[in-house]
Amino acid sequence: MATFRLKIVTPDGPMFDGEARSLTVRTVEGDVCILPRHINFLTALGMGEAKVVPAEGEARRAACIGGMLSVTGDQVMLVPTTFEWADQIDLPRAQHAREAAEEKLSHRDRLSDHELAVAEAKLKRALVRSSVAGRK
Amino acid sequence: MAGVSMKDIKLRIRSMESTKQITKAMEMVAASKLRRAQDNVTRSRPYFETLYDTVCRVADSSGSFTSPYLEAREVKKTCYVVIAGDRGLAGGYNHNVLKLAEAEMAGKNVTVVPIGKKSVENFRAHGFEILTDAYFEAGDVSVSDCFTLARDLCGRFLRGDFDEVHIVYTGFVSILVQQPSVITALPLHGAGGAEKPGSETIYEPDSETLFAAIVPEYLGGLLYGALCECIASEQGARRTAMDSATKNAEEMIDDLSLKYNRARQGAITQEITEIVAGSNA
Repeated sequence: MATFRLKIVTPDGPMFDGEARSLTVRTVEGDVCILPRHINFLTALGMGEAKVVPAEGEARRAACIGGMLSVTGDQVMLVPTTFEWADQIDLPRAQHAREAAEEKLSHRDRLSDHELAVAEAKLKRALVRSSVAGRK
Repeated sequence: MAGVSMKDIKLRIRSMESTKQITKAMEMVAASKLRRAQDNVTRSRPYFETLYDTVCRVADSSGSFTSPYLEAREVKKTCYVVIAGDRGLAGGYNHNVLKLAEAEMAGKNVTVVPIGKKSVENFRAHGFEILTDAYFEAGDVSVSDCFTLARDLCGRFLRGDFDEVHIVYTGFVSILVQQPSVITALPLHGAGGAEKPGSETIYEPDSETLFAAIVPEYLGGLLYGALCECIASEQGARRTAMDSATKNAEEMIDDLSLKYNRARQGAITQEITEIVAGSNA
C-alpha cells in the first residue's frame, strides 16, 4: 500500500517522523484526511482529534490544537501548537483544567473580554484533551 | 617585607577564596540550568525551522494572492522585540544583544517590546517608547505568553501601529559561542527561490483567511523559539564567565600563597639571624 512521509513537529519536540498511510486532522473548516499522492495543500488547524495510521502498526489518536498542515510533494508536515498522543494525556489534569475554566466562566459578567477569551480557550482545550483521552 | 604584612596577605587570600566559592557555585548552577535549556532548544528547533521554512515557502509562491502580512509598506514605525537576560554576571551576553539592538534602531522611529529584566531596564533608562513591559522576567515567559504577545503584535501590525516587526535575540550556537542576531518577522518575505512551475497548491479556506490564522501562530512559534535560544545562551554565557572568574581567583590565590610563604620564610630567617646574632654577642 502506498505511503507518504509524515513529520509532526511541536514546540515540545518531534512527535512523529516516518511513513504513514493516512492522517486525519481537524482544520478550521472541519476534518480532512490526507492520503498518499495528495495535491500540494496548506491549511490552518482547528482544535480536535488527529488520527495517524502509520505504515506499520496500529492507528494512533492524539489531541491536536492550533498550527498548520502542509503537503508538498509526498512530504506531509503537521506543525501543531499542541499535540499529545491519546495515551499520554493526563486525564485528571485535563478534567481539573476543565472544571477550573467552567468555574471561571460561571461568573462571566465579571470578566474582561481578554479574560473571557482566555478562559474559553482553556475550556476548549481541556474539552478536546479529555474527550480524546476518554475515548479509549 | 615588601610593605605587605602576612596578616594582610592572609586576609586577601581568605576573601579571594570566598569569591571563588561563589563563582564556582554560580558556574555549577548555570551548568545544570544550561543542560535543561539546551534540551529545550534541541527539542523546539525542528518546530521553529519547519514553521519558518513553510511560511517562507508560502510567501515565495504568493504571486497569486495578496495578504496584508505580505505587503511591504512604507516604514514609518518599526517594532523591535528585544530579548535579554534577567540577571547580570553573564559576561558580555546582555551587553552584546542590547548593543546590537541599539545599532539596529539607530535613526529609526521605533517602539520596543523588551523581554527580560535587563532589557526592560535598559530601554526604560534610555527613554525608548515601550509597547509593553509585561514580560519582565524572561525565565517566566511561557509558550502561551508568546502566543498572546504574537496575537497582540499581529493585531497592531494590521491596524498600522507599526510597519515592521523585528526580533533581536541571541542565537545559541554552542556552549561557548552565542551569536546575537536580528530576524525580520513581519512583513513576511520569501527566501527568494521562486516556486517551481506546475506545482499548484490548494489553500483552504482561502489564502487570506489562512494567513490570518497562521501568521499569529507563526510569530508565536518564532518568539518561543527565540526565547529558548536566549535562555540557553544566557546560561552558556554565564557558565563561561563564571568558569573564567573561578580560574582567575585560583590564579590569584596561588600567587598570594606564594607571597605569603615567602613572607613567612623571610620572617623566620630574620628571627634566626637575630637569635644567632644575640647569642654571638
